[in-house]
Amino acid sequence: MKVFTEVFARSLNKRGEELCGDSVEVVQSEDSIIAVMADGLGSGVKANILSTLTTRIASTMIRNKASIEEVVKTIANTLPVCRIRKIAYSTFSILEINDEGEGRLFEFDNPPVIYIRSGKVLELPRREFRVEDKKILEYNFKALAGDKIFIVSDGVIHAGVGGLLNLGWQWSNVANYLERVEKRGYYVSEMVERLIETCNHLYRGEPGDDATVVGVGVRESELTTVLVGPPEDKSKDAEVVKKLIASKGKKVVCGGTTANIVAREMGKEIITKLDYMDPAVPPTACIEGIDLVTEGLITLTKCLEMLRNMVNMYNFTLPLPKEIRKEKDGASKLVDLLVNRSTHISFMVGRAVNPAHRDVYFPGVAGDKVRIVEEIAQILKKCGKRVYIELY
Amino acid sequence: MIEITVCVGSSCYLKGAYEVIKEFERLIPLYGLGDQVELKAGFCLGRCAEAVTVKIEDKYFTSIAPKDVAALLESIKKNILKED
Ligand code: FES
Repeated sequence: MKVFTEVFARSLNKRGEELCGDSVEVVQSEDSIIAVMADGLGSGVKANILSTLTTRIASTMIRNKASIEEVVKTIANTLPVCRIRKIAYSTFSILEINDEGEGRLFEFDNPPVIYIRSGKVLELPRREFRVEDKKILEYNFKALAGDKIFIVSDGVIHAGVGGLLNLGWQWSNVANYLERVEKRGYYVSEMVERLIETCNHLYRGEPGDDATVVGVGVRESELTTVLVGPPEDKSKDAEVVKKLIASKGKKVVCGGTTANIVAREMGKEIITKLDYMDPAVPPTACIEGIDLVTEGLITLTKCLEMLRNMVNMYNFTLPLPKEIRKEKDGASKLVDLLVNRSTHISFMVGRAVNPAHRDVYFPGVAGDKVRIVEEIAQILKKCGKRVYIELY
Repeated sequence: MIEITVCVGSSCYLKGAYEVIKEFERLIPLYGLGDQVELKAGFCLGRCAEAVTVKIEDKYFTSIAPKDVAALLESIKKNILKED
């Protein structure tokens, strides 16, 4: 069975440091995803350089099909040596999972992976080998939909050390914590958020070390089809709606006129509710058989804005702020659906332009629907989604 | 029950449909019409160039601003009285 793997990461910087000494890099190849997390020696700029170099080298080499031995050798020989401690040092974990669910994980000096399957921490068989006298652990496993894998830096394991907790948080407690959160049905993205927040609490908001969590979720692929705008050629209305209805997975309609067309073609009624109103985003509606119906331009623009902000905040992947599921406006619902509940997204974009939009309300941007969707697609792709766009 | 539909399509929302709805919500009880009218939202009513569009039963009213809401309710009230 095909699985889809998504990666979310969050870091805390050591108190007073502008840069994090941990780095994470995620690479999506055609049939697999590779996540690398490295923890550089010390903190601040130097650690940041060490760990960034490590993740860069590792992800680039693995993408080019280099073996792990080669990667480790290269890393060991490339990193600058610390003048005082005489070591070139950055720990790392490298995880690769392909679309068939075959997984490999290599660990060098990082805390052991926390692998959760159906609410329980799973012990993975592992073997040990040495490269350039560095001890590397290798795990081979078959990932199943629903598995959640967490790679943490030692700043998480030691959270609270000498302060709130004498010995720090400790691996088994972190693992238990994740088990508990997972049982309550949280998404991986939310678990990452919660873990890092708890970590921050344990440090009383002043982390004594850089702390990083990489959460990897394995799930069955989930398709969402989004119809945006009416087709340029009216005679295509029926065909486009049929295509939307026939699509597997969740269905979204963006645009008032578009919603009217869909309702008409389906012979269903549009029901709009007024119980939730947001001054900035028009209300959503319901059509039986469609998972989400929103207004078009304003909602999409807002959705793009939200996605942009998230990318800026977290720079490579989109861990959703946990509040988003509670938001009821159309744009948040759309973002939640696209980021949290879809792996494959197909946009069907109609190119008809409302004359009133063009002339009165959105001069210059009315025809930009396509551009907005393209930018949304780009961001979604960047965080690992498979996205397709079709124009009508 | 008299249906009042306020358009919440892009154009109308941009032109203040939110405020119009809020004004309806505020004034309907003041006019004592709570039991006689039903406030609804509708997607694009096809009169985008003259937003905000409000539909009362089968009649369309365009370019509606919050200040026009009172007059609309006033006329609804008169009609109801007449019919009685
Ligand atoms: S958006 Fe209100 S009439 Fe078109």
